Amino acid sequence: MSFGEDYFNPFFSHIYVEKSVRNHARTQKILAKFPSAKIIEISHYKDVFCRSRQNVPLQHRSQKLILAARKGALLYEGAPVCQRFGSEHFYYCSCVMNCVYDCEYCYLKGMYPSANIVVFVNLEEIFAKVERVLQEHPLYLCVSYDTDLLAMEQLIGYVQEWCAFAENNEKLKIEIRTKCANKCLKQSAVAVPGVIYAFTLSPQAVIEAFEHHTPSLLERLSCASALLRAGCQVRLCFDPMIYVPDWQKHYAAMLEQVFATVDVDRIVDASVGTFRVSQDYLKNMRRQLPESPVIWFPFQREDGYCHYPDELMEQMETFLTKRMEQKIPREKIFRWKT
Amino acid sequence: MIYIFTALYCEASVLIRRFQLVKNQQITWFQEFYNETAGIRLAVTGVGEIAAAAVVSSVCTMYGPDKGDLLLNVGICAHTTGNNGIFLCNKIVELATGKTYFPDMLCRHDFSEGTILTGMRLWNAGNTENAGSTEPGMCLWNAGDTGTAETEVQSGEAKTKKHLWNAEESGGYLYDMEAAAVYQAGIHFFGPHQMSFLKIVSDSGVLSEVSQEQTLHLMEQYQDSIADYIGKTAAIIQKNCCRKHQNREDERLIETFCTDLHCSRTMRASVEQYIRYLALSGIDYACVIQEFYDKKQLPCRDKREGKRYFDEFRRRLF
Repeated sequence: MSFGEDYFNPFFSHIYVEKSVRNHARTQKILAKFPSAKIIEISHYKDVFCRSRQNVPLQHRSQKLILAARKGALLYEGAPVCQRFGSEHFYYCSCVMNCVYDCEYCYLKGMYPSANIVVFVNLEEIFAKVERVLQEHPLYLCVSYDTDLLAMEQLIGYVQEWCAFAENNEKLKIEIRTKCANKCLKQSAVAVPGVIYAFTLSPQAVIEAFEHHTPSLLERLSCASALLRAGCQVRLCFDPMIYVPDWQKHYAAMLEQVFATVDVDRIVDASVGTFRVSQDYLKNMRRQLPESPVIWFPFQREDGYCHYPDELMEQMETFLTKRMEQKIPREKIFRWKT
Repeated sequence: MIYIFTALYCEASVLIRRFQLVKNQQITWFQEFYNETAGIRLAVTGVGEIAAAAVVSSVCTMYGPDKGDLLLNVGICAHTTGNNGIFLCNKIVELATGKTYFPDMLCRHDFSEGTILTGMRLWNAGNTENAGSTEPGMCLWNAGDTGTAETEVQSGEAKTKKHLWNAEESGGYLYDMEAAAVYQAGIHFFGPHQMSFLKIVSDSGVLSEVSQEQTLHLMEQYQDSIADYIGKTAAIIQKNCCRKHQNREDERLIETFCTDLHCSRTMRASVEQYIRYLALSGIDYACVIQEFYDKKQLPCRDKREGKRYFDEFRRRLF
């Protein structure tokens, strides 16, 4: 008997659909992409997503899709641990919850009780809310914080919708954070002034050890480079930096690869920050992943957050920043500070 | 351990033979059978939600299932539109409350899947009072707009507000009298990935179709596929359950190290945390500890010296 991936149901073998959105156009469009999926009608996404005692690592082996309507708050103010890039009005929204990638250190594992993916199909309501806020002040909005929208683009097409929306709203700047290396995007990207593609980069050793199912460093860099050539705005995020033995060697090699592949003169900016997470999330993450070294690091606790010990944090961030400054102007490098 | 719950003895008897289970004579108020070697424990709950919940709770309280265990509810059921075969339930609806429950559907299988309705009474297609229904072929309950815990069955006067679910329109439902209760009691001890509900259709709501002989025959017919499913699911759950991160040798080493460093409780927790990380990372920390002993630095004199050596230990590893 083999217990490989074959033993698990394929990804999205079951799609849970809220009754209220069963006939929504986006629901129909998404369901059409999964003709063999079993459709299960639900009253509210939390009936499935928020069940007690779920096993997140096991669910990651066979993620299910939940299609729902977002109610209540549609925009959130950025958390203190988020890099603000100098923006006064920094918000994020959650049109999708959870990610197809399975990064061991990801805070989503501590924030959500499930590994299943919730897609809110009432995007038009989020757009309407953004328009209302834009009447008061400009907005810097991260639309891919609690997910990787680009990685799901072929299934839901939300990046395209956000880009079209941003094109019509001058005061809006959106950031699309990703680890993706979408080939279609590379070929067909169109530059939109208010859209920043932010690539999270890690050394290949970190990717192999902790960022399961994600594209390699080279693939991400190649995608970032293609977007720059197409005139898109690209941000490079060396955040979170992850401690591994010989981290200097790995991060130095990563930077060499970045400089060799990407024309860093053309990037919007870059961010640097070591891993940090809310203490409560870390507790949940450790319960879910009792054997993951990356989250069992003996972190330092401070004001409800856990981070590497001050000395190590300083050492890692300075190491990378100094090397980046050889090629990237200092004012373009944002270093995360509490 | 695999915990199997059936409502009736005739549903259990084929599995008792198949897995060579023996009766637990110490339990008198319900029937329990087990085979420690095979890791299977089977209980006959009796019919109905209260009986099922009571026995599931009793068994789980007595044996305290862990993360590598599995709960399986097996038995016969009715089908509202007369489909036949064996079904794995992907949605469970408790008719009395309208609450819904969803076991995880992680593993591949060859069964059909379906929604099961759990009611307080036997499903009788000819009876217009099924589970409060006022029209034949229809199940009536207030599913509400949210389907959350607040949902309640409404009185007959509020009929227009109720959610009518026409079984025939949706391809039909399975109907039993225990699944929702087994889930509700089981979720206190198992995760949704650890619970499976396998139901064999015995009738379409015509009570005269159901007999003990027919139940035995159906259980015999599907026993191979049930056994195969149990074997595969249990193996995958056990393989993915938590492994112990430290072996006894590690524990002994930590104990000696902490004692010889004269650790306070806080410092001991810190040592344990570091060693857990180092062990998970595959870093050879034992060799570094040994060097302290080789240099005769350990056992040290007091807590202060211990703290100094622990700082040195950390510096050398990071």
